[in-house]
Amino acid sequence: MALRVALAAAAGRAAGTASRALGRGGGTTLPGLVARAIQPQVAGTLARCLAHGSILVSGTNGKTTTARLISAMLAAAGRRVVHNRAGANLMTGVTTALLDGPGDTGLFEIDEATLPAAIAELQPRLVVCLNLFRDQLDRYGELNTLGSKWAAALGQLPPQATVLLNSDDPLVASLGRGLACHVVHFGLDSPEHRLPEIQHAADSIYCPRCGTLLAFDAVYYGHLGHYGCPGCGFARPEAEFVATEVQLGLDRPTRFTLLPRPAASPSGIELATSLPGLYNVYNVTAAAAAALSMGIPAAALVNTVRAFSGAFGRTETVDIGGKRLRLLLAKNPVGFNEVIRTLLLDPEPLRLYVALNDRTADGEDVSWIWDVDLEQLAGHCERVIVGGTRAEDMAVRLKYAGFAPAALELVRDHRQAVRQLLQGTPEGRTAYAVPTYTAMLDLRRSLAALAAVQQFWED
Amino acid sequence: MDLTLAWLYPDSMSIYGDRGNVIALSRRAEWRAIDVNVWRLPKGERLDRVPDLLMFGGGQDREQRLIERDFLELKGETVREAVEQDVPVLAVCGGFQLLGHGYRDADGTSIQGLGLLDAETVAPAAKDKRCIGNIVVRTELGGDLVGFENHGGRTVLGPRARPLGRVLRGYGNNGRDGTEGARYRNCFGTYMHGSLLPKNPWFTDYLLLCALRRKYGPEVRLERLDDALELRAHEAALSRI
Repeated sequence: MALRVALAAAAGRAAGTASRALGRGGGTTLPGLVARAIQPQVAGTLARCLAHGSILVSGTNGKTTTARLISAMLAAAGRRVVHNRAGANLMTGVTTALLDGPGDTGLFEIDEATLPAAIAELQPRLVVCLNLFRDQLDRYGELNTLGSKWAAALGQLPPQATVLLNSDDPLVASLGRGLACHVVHFGLDSPEHRLPEIQHAADSIYCPRCGTLLAFDAVYYGHLGHYGCPGCGFARPEAEFVATEVQLGLDRPTRFTLLPRPAASPSGIELATSLPGLYNVYNVTAAAAAALSMGIPAAALVNTVRAFSGAFGRTETVDIGGKRLRLLLAKNPVGFNEVIRTLLLDPEPLRLYVALNDRTADGEDVSWIWDVDLEQLAGHCERVIVGGTRAEDMAVRLKYAGFAPAALELVRDHRQAVRQLLQGTPEGRTAYAVPTYTAMLDLRRSLAALAAVQQFWED
Repeated sequence: MDLTLAWLYPDSMSIYGDRGNVIALSRRAEWRAIDVNVWRLPKGERLDRVPDLLMFGGGQDREQRLIERDFLELKGETVREAVEQDVPVLAVCGGFQLLGHGYRDADGTSIQGLGLLDAETVAPAAKDKRCIGNIVVRTELGGDLVGFENHGGRTVLGPRARPLGRVLRGYGNNGRDGTEGARYRNCFGTYMHGSLLPKNPWFTDYLLLCALRRKYGPEVRLERLDDALELRAHEAALSRI
């Protein structure tokens, strides 16, 4: 058994070296694939060698950002972290990261559908459940089915493990009932950021237990908020980690206070981040709660959060010949709505490039763009370029959202699109690119020729 | 001129961008100075009068079960009346199944439908995969439709139903008999979303014209619109197959 694991590990590592030497990319999954073919339990065996165990981060939106934040916090506290940084979040990617080791703490972002298998194989010490939104039904299936699978997997965790749940997400919060492991929650308390009404893209607005329409006191985004069920009494669990006094920024940092309850630090921890949007307040809160739960001191969080500039393509600003292009990833209706909310923080008329792809990793079904409230952007843009493999679908969506068809420019090539967008952009102004996942990868590759953007497996 | 568009379960049965159909009908009417009043009918609201147009989208299995009784008790009879009075109806996926005889699950439980469309839906057999992908359908109405389908249920039409069209590419009702959707009077059931209507403007206008002629008389004409962008999206969808 041990020999076979060693053999599997050696073969996997060799495959990665060969792949990189041949210029076939970063080899973020191939070593894992090879090693698992030889010894299917290789990941579990390697994970058991980690002195502080493993942390898993899953959810529809925010996995990569949150995992990277936790990783930076752990590193700041002196931990040696084994992390699938490049976002290869299936078991092959996790196995590859473990082969790349060594370290004392495992930190893995996990694809939503893979979480049950990852829990079974890796026996994590902490599982962070961020949120569950409707995303790529052609790939993940229905939301409640996924929720049931998560519940069953979390139910297998022993009492010494911890699960960190988003108490503002009714479906995620409902997973805490009856678990043997320790359950803690994080959430937001920021009445001034309530939405006036629940968005069309919201999913879990019916009670996960009895099916009654939930009553919301506050909706922060999607179906996240403060809620209760008038039918069965299902209530939002009180969060042990609360983000409050939130001040959102776009060109200046977003600031908020994290209150750990019971108060480990009575005055709270003041955090400032360059990550924009309320969705990133959730990500930072989840990361801080995870780090604190793992015994990382509060002092290690503050500087880490301030210095953190974002995970590749999620939100990053690129300098191209003195002009700024800000990338904001949008891969599902709720995420796109939050990007729109963030864009509207810019008081200037927007210069915008939207790139819609329909590859497997994006979801081949582009219907979801009709659930995005693009109407909110109409009248706020001075230039809009549309690209990606389904540019025409996005152009039609924008036309029906109230954009003048003549003002929509279809440009097939990402580099050309960015050039056109930046051409008339004055110095000091920011233009925005909103790509779907694979469009973001393509776009970054194109930008590498225009500016210094690192290939993601290198950073 | 104005139209009332009843939208059944906009919050829970609108899973695959079915809102796009409501937006397409509303905008294409507005662009011709026709007002569309969208009448939202979530769970608990009674459909107490016959509207001029009716939209019914798809939902997840759980949502479909949550609205089953509400649909039969608070909406069903008026939907039947509307269909018999030639009101144009578009029902997608779950909505299609509920306008048919319903849905029979693998474990024998079933969701009861209205039986307006002679269409029976059963859960897929264990070996059958979901029907997922881009789809092209040739209709009898004089045009092709492009969309995206994603359904587990297999629907078989009875003798009283005509299909909406024949599948050129994709699965359609059941992946076997080449039929897609169903039609009875001006009531259309289909598995196509994508969203369906924005990329198929001729069909959107067909539904609008049905509604307007029913309300304002057979001489009503629809002003032509510039559909260059919509037709490019239609072509782009075809090129993905």
